[in-house]
Amino acid sequence: MTSQTARTLGASLRYEFRMQVRKRSVWIVPALTVVLFLLIGGSLLRDLFDPNERKGQPAEARTAVVGLAVQVHALLSIGFGCLLADRLIRDDRLRVAPILDATPARPGARLVGKYLGAGAATAVPILVVYFGFAAAYAVHTDAPQALGWALATCAVVIVPGLLFVAAFALTLPLVMPAPLFRVIFVGYWLWGNVVVPDMMPTLARTLVHPLGGYPLDALLDFHGIDGDDTWAGPVPGATLNFLRPAPTPTTAWLSIAVLLVVAAAALAGGHAVRARRA
Amino acid sequence: MRPLTLWRYEARRAGWAALLGPPIAVALGVSAALANPRPGDATTARILLGALEMAVPLAAGVACASLVGRDPAVELQLAAPTPYRVTLLRRMVVTLGWAAVVAGLTAAVLIATGWWARWPANHGPFAGQLTWVAPTAGLGAVGFAAGAVFRGPAAAGALVTTLWTIQQFFGDLAQRHLPGRLLYLFATTRGAVPGDWTENRLALLGAAAALVALALVVLARSERLIGEEDE
Repeated sequence: MTSQTARTLGASLRYEFRMQVRKRSVWIVPALTVVLFLLIGGSLLRDLFDPNERKGQPAEARTAVVGLAVQVHALLSIGFGCLLADRLIRDDRLRVAPILDATPARPGARLVGKYLGAGAATAVPILVVYFGFAAAYAVHTDAPQALGWALATCAVVIVPGLLFVAAFALTLPLVMPAPLFRVIFVGYWLWGNVVVPDMMPTLARTLVHPLGGYPLDALLDFHGIDGDDTWAGPVPGATLNFLRPAPTPTTAWLSIAVLLVVAAAALAGGHAVRARRA
Repeated sequence: MRPLTLWRYEARRAGWAALLGPPIAVALGVSAALANPRPGDATTARILLGALEMAVPLAAGVACASLVGRDPAVELQLAAPTPYRVTLLRRMVVTLGWAAVVAGLTAAVLIATGWWARWPANHGPFAGQLTWVAPTAGLGAVGFAAGAVFRGPAAAGALVTTLWTIQQFFGDLAQRHLPGRLLYLFATTRGAVPGDWTENRLALLGAAAALVALALVVLARSERLIGEEDE
């Protein structure tokens, strides 16, 4: 990477981050999500803080914060993807794309800067929510190791999942209207993450699982808050089982790598579409 | 302007997502029903009705959430004799009307082929149409009101999709109490208490009317719409 490219990437990352993190909606949407979740009596807090819910046995620190991550990730990623969907097409809508293209800053570096900057800024409230609840749990149960597990979960589950979502949220609205992307994204999120594989062909529990089935299962040894769920691996009678090897640490890292490679491919595709239109 | 031209124009301004969303939603729902290998007509019928009760309202809701903040020169709209909020309301009517055409035709096909009757909780061919009318109006109104409050499609669309997903993920929890049951979007295909169905549908329609009224009040403050979009 030449120093010019690195500077472009750094500058666009910084500015995209600042622009996005100051948007009120980036904070309001996750806040309203948490309020809605608490209003319906979300299982999240009861699982963590109410010993009666756990038959007198408070969840062990690792299980508790990993379970929390699954709920936060599954729910707040929706808003994350929807909020990012207008970031790339916005340059065209405001007619600043030609001006930016006329600068010596290379488009590829600007795209990666926008991806990382806007993505990181939109993820800030999600991480605040997650680490806020994890810290509350750590204090409540006097289990400081919970924060360590929260960091590990964030690194191997939440961050790869969000990087995957962000790549598609930026680039797919180049080829379809952003509202249509939002509809299809939510449909995908439900279908590709939580649909039971023997009900219909789905990417859930495969290596391409942005909710992080393999890392949850093999790296964090998480099997549901009650310990009797599986999150990855083959399902008897399901299609696409060739994408569901047995969960081991190797396949877990492979699954993370697959998510990142697919995300990079989506970005490269978006870059190619923009280059052809320019 | 002749009325037909006017409505055609509003349909164009509602955007491609409003046009393509409902048919794509129905197509995906029907494919999901066809791909389901579990035996039993009731399961397949449930997914087919689910396409009407879940997928169409989502598409219509996000399309309604994308109406405010689309016009490049909103000052012109605000200076026109027709109040801008009436224009936006027309676009919402077009958006929901098109979703209703798609959903109504799909329902007619399901009734004619007998699939409608195979889901035990179908509530008949006439009153049963509230299966899609109520959640479509409800989620559409949530989207429209959120668009008016946030003045942009990104946050409003995110709110509609999140609300929809919460009710999908936590269907049981959401229905533990009466207010949650009354405002649950998927009472036909995932309802907990069948006796609540009519009240639930009417409550959704009432909530939709209240939210549209709220949106119109918010949109009346036209200075909020100029230059302050949350970019």
